Amino acid sequence: MKHTAPLQAAGETIVKVPTRRTLAKQQTRAKVLAAARRLFSEEGYEGATIRDIAAAAGMSTGAVFANFTDKSDLFREIMMTDMVALGEAMREAASRGKGVDDALLRMFGAGYAFYKSQLPLARAAFSVGWTPEEGPQLINSQPAQSLLDLIADELNAGIERGELGQEAEVKLRAQMLFEAYLSNYKQAIFEGWSLDALQARSRDQIRVLLAGARRG
Amino acid sequence: MTSETDTGNGGPGGLDPAQPPPLAEAGLRQSQKEATRNRVILAARELFDTQGYQGTTIREIARHAGVSVGSVFTTFATKGEILSQVMQERLDRLYAELDRVLPHLRGSTADRLRSMFAIHFAFESQRMRLFLAHIAAAYDCALPSAATPFGKNSRLQEIIRECLVKGVAEGDVDPAIDHLEIIELLMSAYAWTFRLAVWDGADAEAMTAVMDRQIGLIAAGFTPR
Repeated sequence: MKHTAPLQAAGETIVKVPTRRTLAKQQTRAKVLAAARRLFSEEGYEGATIRDIAAAAGMSTGAVFANFTDKSDLFREIMMTDMVALGEAMREAASRGKGVDDALLRMFGAGYAFYKSQLPLARAAFSVGWTPEEGPQLINSQPAQSLLDLIADELNAGIERGELGQEAEVKLRAQMLFEAYLSNYKQAIFEGWSLDALQARSRDQIRVLLAGARRG
Repeated sequence: MTSETDTGNGGPGGLDPAQPPPLAEAGLRQSQKEATRNRVILAARELFDTQGYQGTTIREIARHAGVSVGSVFTTFATKGEILSQVMQERLDRLYAELDRVLPHLRGSTADRLRSMFAIHFAFESQRMRLFLAHIAAAYDCALPSAATPFGKNSRLQEIIRECLVKGVAEGDVDPAIDHLEIIELLMSAYAWTFRLAVWDGADAEAMTAVMDRQIGLIAAGFTPR
């Protein structure tokens, strides 16, 4: 049985009323994704098998494979969905910021708040993110890149407002801010840091990383 | 079946000169165990580096080392522990080298940090995927608590700290700055630069160039105003 890739399906412009079959298929996908999310959180990426995920979703492994090519496909789908929601939360938070530092701080705070309730999944994501096979697909994905763009946008806005100098090396600085934001998850995951502690660490990191770009 | 001769009493490093030398049989067993251990570590280093940590099974490591799966497990509890040991032995060599070089480094704190990381890149770039596996494993659920994941490497942190302390004394590091924070920033820049290298196929020189810029940017944050 051939199945259409989600992207391909989304690209089609013909509007069709979903048939019962497509509805059933969507439900299956949702069920598999929910089960996978739970197992990746409980067992980690390595520990969760397609067989376990299928069992938890109450279906056969064949039914899982009819919807997802493999485990990494399944994991990626979960991550992409989350990152799109995360991006929205971050953008919203940044828009309430006063000045570059505050906007970045609010943005990162929104990120930590988003993942606070699902740290085991975040842990699995870091583990996958560092593998040479899956890592690039995850980090170079459009949703991940747009998180990076959000940071760069704030830096550029800071330049426009005259808070930062023209030679602020936006690309490198945005990347370093993003990495610093991500590196604090270690403390959240392994040392149980509170949102306040993460926020305080972020504030200092932002201050250090912006110091060289400040005007005057 | 082997008899249960007591060989475990001394423990690691617990050689007591007052005790008579161990029975020849026990000594032989100990050296066989040591040989197995070394072969496993050598094989694992090879396999982790060529096919990645996740892509390597204990069974493959055993086959590659020419030992039984059972004997791997008598020495190591998990794959994570093997990786941890592989990295430890490599790092011991790196830090022996660094201990030799560090006292001779000159220049500003930023420059000394640049030299120090350049040495790291030159060393780790020989085994790029192994290093990535090391970072990935920090988040692995199966990692034993005794293992040293990336980021818990106190030697590297200690070296950076010494660099900063010296900088404070020489006046190019702000005394009010939190050292731990700078250490974390440098570590995250260091790790990211590696990722870049593996994905973009950058060599040690290219990585060093990227890291130099990042150190400059961080240094702007710790230089007294």
